[in-house]
Amino acid sequence: MRLRGSFAIWRRDMLVLRRNLPSELVAVAAYPLTIYLAFGIGMKGYIGLVEGVPYGLFIAPGLISMTAVTAAYSESVWSLWFHRRVQFTIDSYRVTPISVSEIVIGKILSGFSHGLVKGLAVGLVIFAITPFRFPLEHLMAYLAFLIPGSAFFSCAGIICGTVMDKPETIGRVEAVFIMPLIFMSGLFFPLSSYPPALVPWVRALPTTALFEGARQALVGGVFPLVFALQVAVTALCTFVAAVWIFRRKMAE
Amino acid sequence: MPSAILTRSLTKQYGPLTALTDFHLEVDQGSIFGLLGPNGAGKTTLIRILTTLMRQSSGDAFVEGLDTRTQGREIRRLIGVVPQENSLDRYLTARENLELHARLHGMEARHYRQRIDELLELMGLAGRQKDFPDTFSGGMQRRLVVTRALLHEPRLLFLDEPTTGLDPQSRRAVWDYIRSVAGSMTIFLTTHYLEEAEQLCDRIAIMDHGRLIALGSTQELKERLTGGGNVYQIEFDEGAERYAAVLREMVCVREIEVSGRTVCVALEEWECLSEVIAALNGAPVRRISLRERTLEEVFISLTGAGVRE
Repeated sequence: MRLRGSFAIWRRDMLVLRRNLPSELVAVAAYPLTIYLAFGIGMKGYIGLVEGVPYGLFIAPGLISMTAVTAAYSESVWSLWFHRRVQFTIDSYRVTPISVSEIVIGKILSGFSHGLVKGLAVGLVIFAITPFRFPLEHLMAYLAFLIPGSAFFSCAGIICGTVMDKPETIGRVEAVFIMPLIFMSGLFFPLSSYPPALVPWVRALPTTALFEGARQALVGGVFPLVFALQVAVTALCTFVAAVWIFRRKMAE
Repeated sequence: MPSAILTRSLTKQYGPLTALTDFHLEVDQGSIFGLLGPNGAGKTTLIRILTTLMRQSSGDAFVEGLDTRTQGREIRRLIGVVPQENSLDRYLTARENLELHARLHGMEARHYRQRIDELLELMGLAGRQKDFPDTFSGGMQRRLVVTRALLHEPRLLFLDEPTTGLDPQSRRAVWDYIRSVAGSMTIFLTTHYLEEAEQLCDRIAIMDHGRLIALGSTQELKERLTGGGNVYQIEFDEGAERYAAVLREMVCVREIEVSGRTVCVALEEWECLSEVIAALNGAPVRRISLRERTLEEVFISLTGAGVRE
């Protein structure tokens, strides 16, 4: 498959990101940092150790991952909706000699890149203002979760931005589906807090594999292979679905 | 040499709604072709099929001899499209919009940079190339969209209502540009402004309810409406009714209509004019003029005067 068109679209999105980076980063970093300060610092005296690590350390990897995946999702869903329904730039791409698949892959790459840049930026800020430290080799294992995780959410955003025509629907899906999926996946508490009957179901969620696996990789220095495979396979399936759904929508 | 556009029995259905029905059309290379029709006539559907944005339900459509169903990428290399909506990227400057388009067409940087410089100069946008399209007037935005469509030197340019919403000066600027590139490429134009079609197009098709209902040059369409006859307006100083009664008796007068001091006379053939003048010998005639049918009259007579949704 040719990817010239994907690269041109990704390059366009990165130009716009670069132009708006300072203001984007302030907005993106504000939310997770507020949570970190409120929970990690404000509550640490009450919570103590969770699974053998201080609470601030326990939630830090999840906050970085959450920033990355929500940024990937938001960029993909809003960008695709905006370019398709408001600016009509998708149609202007479609009358050039590139394929529909190239367009959607370009947008997936852009969402993924947004997630990665913003997640790493929040990671750097947390690293700078807190005592949170980890060995460099842990970071490599952590990226094995963050990269497919961002890709998965970017593809999910593409699917929503493709099938949803009204912005309020997009907002509702984010509030009712995406955020609960993130928050209930052990971002702020260990999975052992769930009733035992629920644990297998929660562990089966790709978001649990992402957040739990990322935490184990970054804090504990272990590489949970099953979780990593679960995130990678989910990302791959969502990618195939996103391309297929976008192609079908464009053929309508 | 293949036709620039050829459609055969082209049909498009959206569920129970038929947007195009058995549509036959042939457009010669290098011509300016106008497609007219009321709202919902099927013009945009036809353009979307020809520009490969949409697939037909049945029938064939060829652009420069290439099949729209199987050779979309090759077709899109050859066409430029100015859509109804501006579709400019408001987060990119004018120049960046053009650069993105060039990259999507696979143009090399050294080639497109020079071409962009030339076109921006030609379209009077060189001084604003680093500005964002949101800061442009409607006319400038439209010129930028036209510039974008021409960047890769297309052989066929689709203009879907290119001057809608423009002031008369901007509209004429777009017309001038269309005339200047005519001949070097085929231009396929849809418009609601009948004057625009009359001014620019070599041939015009009128469609309604998804069907082609008339095709020809402006003159041919007007003659078809008037049955080839000639209509003259005769203005009298007084007694228009009386002289109208005299003319009504003449064999070569097909139709007569009185409006105040003016009598509108439709003749079977222009040679009858001398008989009419002879019959009016001594009448207080102030002016005799040939009344040409407008394209708007042709359009309304073919598509009806009712407002479409």
